[in-house]
Amino acid sequence: MFSKILVANRGEIAVRVMRTAHEMGIKTVAVYSDADNESLHVFSADEAVFLGESDPASSYLNVDKIVDAALQTGAEAIHPGYGFLAENPVFAERVVSEGLVFIGPPAHVMAALGNKTTARRIMSDSGVPIIPGMIHTERDTNRLVDVAEEMGYPVLVKAAAGGGGKGMRIVDGSDALPEAAESAAGEALTAFGDNTIYLEKYLDRPRHIEFQILADSYGNVVHLFERECSIQRRHQKIIEETPSAAMDGGLRSRMGAAAVAAGRAAGYVNAGTVEFLLDRNGEFYFLEVNTRLQVEHPVTEMITGLDLVRRQIEIAAGLPLPFSQGDLFRRGHAIECRIYAEDPEADFMPAPGRILFAQSPEGPGVRFDHCIYSGFEVPVQYDPILGKLVVWAEDREMAIARMIRALKGCVILGVKTQVEFLLDVLSSDAFKAGDIHTHFIEEDHFATWKPDQSADCLAVLGSVAYDMVAPRVIPSAVARPGEAGWSSPWQTLGAWDIVR
Amino acid sequence: MDYKLRIQDAVYHVDAAAPDSTGSIRTVLDGKERSLSVCSVLNNRVNFGIDGRVANIFAVKTDEGTWVWVDGRARLVQDADKVDRRKARARSGVPSDVTPPTPAAVVRVLVESGQKVAKGQGLVVVSAMKMEITLSAPYSGMVRAVNTAVGDQVKPGDILVEIEAHEQGDQNE
Repeated sequence: MFSKILVANRGEIAVRVMRTAHEMGIKTVAVYSDADNESLHVFSADEAVFLGESDPASSYLNVDKIVDAALQTGAEAIHPGYGFLAENPVFAERVVSEGLVFIGPPAHVMAALGNKTTARRIMSDSGVPIIPGMIHTERDTNRLVDVAEEMGYPVLVKAAAGGGGKGMRIVDGSDALPEAAESAAGEALTAFGDNTIYLEKYLDRPRHIEFQILADSYGNVVHLFERECSIQRRHQKIIEETPSAAMDGGLRSRMGAAAVAAGRAAGYVNAGTVEFLLDRNGEFYFLEVNTRLQVEHPVTEMITGLDLVRRQIEIAAGLPLPFSQGDLFRRGHAIECRIYAEDPEADFMPAPGRILFAQSPEGPGVRFDHCIYSGFEVPVQYDPILGKLVVWAEDREMAIARMIRALKGCVILGVKTQVEFLLDVLSSDAFKAGDIHTHFIEEDHFATWKPDQSADCLAVLGSVAYDMVAPRVIPSAVARPGEAGWSSPWQTLGAWDIVR
Repeated sequence: MDYKLRIQDAVYHVDAAAPDSTGSIRTVLDGKERSLSVCSVLNNRVNFGIDGRVANIFAVKTDEGTWVWVDGRARLVQDADKVDRRKARARSGVPSDVTPPTPAAVVRVLVESGQKVAKGQGLVVVSAMKMEITLSAPYSGMVRAVNTAVGDQVKPGDILVEIEAHEQGDQNE
């Protein structure tokens, strides 16, 4: 087993990985940039290596610096977390070539699955159902129109190197296709350095269901059931849960088997996630494989009782899976809410600043994987994720009630978050009925959500009580931009808007 | 004590009497009388009763006002008079700076010196926190100077584009 691991990431996931390493008696090395000087992941590690300037290219995306940090500290393996270099085959390859272990799949598997059309071909060849569409990219707009007309509109233009909703356009007819193709290709070139595009049939209001898989280096592949990730905003997940209300035993078996088949077809090793779209007729189609540990992995851990990071480390250390599919069971219901420093009233725009006061929710079945503390300055240079709030309970109804309690107790003051928005979503009839799909937030009354004004009365009286009884103390003498007392530039500066 | 408090666009008047011998604070808010009894204020947690019902809030006082957490709902409770004075000051200075709201990198420059622009027209696109933001013209006029180029690292306060305003009654307005 490794004696030292470097965690090539930051924020909550770095903290989470280090916790398991700590339990396993493995020493940890953190890497950090200027902006993360006072970040929790730095304090949580046994050693920390300073990478330099904050922009990702100079820090968390800098392969040379990270490899150097591992070599210099004597780390034997690198855990990439999610995002940053986690799905970068060049990084994975380089790590291995330096004599280190990459805690993830082999680089060539990552590369094959990272290209959407190659992945679709691999699956199609192995009998895994894929979304009707192209398995090769196409540059010629006329050919694209031919294919689209044969498939039938609406179609989705997608970037082969894409992800996170970028390089995607929905097209309703042939006259809109050329412009959409060009626009998607341009966005893909900027975001991924690759402008190749293809077409897929656009499914109406599908459910986004993903299966967790684990594969060791001896050919054993198992699935750890599904996660329902349909609630998204701007194509990014915000609420995830397991089990999915759309599953019955039969569908779960078939999709689980397809996920395992997908893993085998790709020669997958370590933890991965096979994503499917489930249409309204109960048909499922392969979407893509995420060749990393995902943000929402805790919900799977809660229902199976397994530590996925531990399994990742063990697989990377050459151990076989200690269980087979028949040994795996799920129990109860788990929900995760992602907590970001964002303003739900301003289209979820990032709202960086200083967290003046934070307190974690507690109690049975509550888990908060976060990286915040009172006084923490949320860096502007990175994704503004503050943490993931996860609950487990015996059934969905209890889990919803537990999540509502947990959200109420997830105190974050000083920066705007979507906690209140999530509270209203979880409390809604639509969510409780399990009627969820990928456009839930845009439709279903949440497109024009506003905070509930009836909470103002209690806030006003509470502030009066606080003022009359508490001493007049203003926290933190050092005035820095973003600290309470300074309006966030997002609110005060004049004419600008966001182009996505 | 008279409080005139503001939460976003709503203003609330609270008339609060000094705590009596039992520690109760008689308040009147929007014509409704309520009795507050504060049990504990520790580490930003205020445990108090409203007409006998227990309430727990978390609060942090700052220059801008008091941040209050009410069961999952965060509210910034401000002194309404202070907010009005600050707004009056801000209104007298029309925001005219084309500057990024956050440290960012310039990815596209959409105009050049001498070009006529309309209010709201895109001038410069910057990238920050994995998003692209278009800085647009606060009023119509002519571009007097472009002070940046693609690849520059810019920050709030840097004037990226200078625009000379048109006279009143411009049809582009």
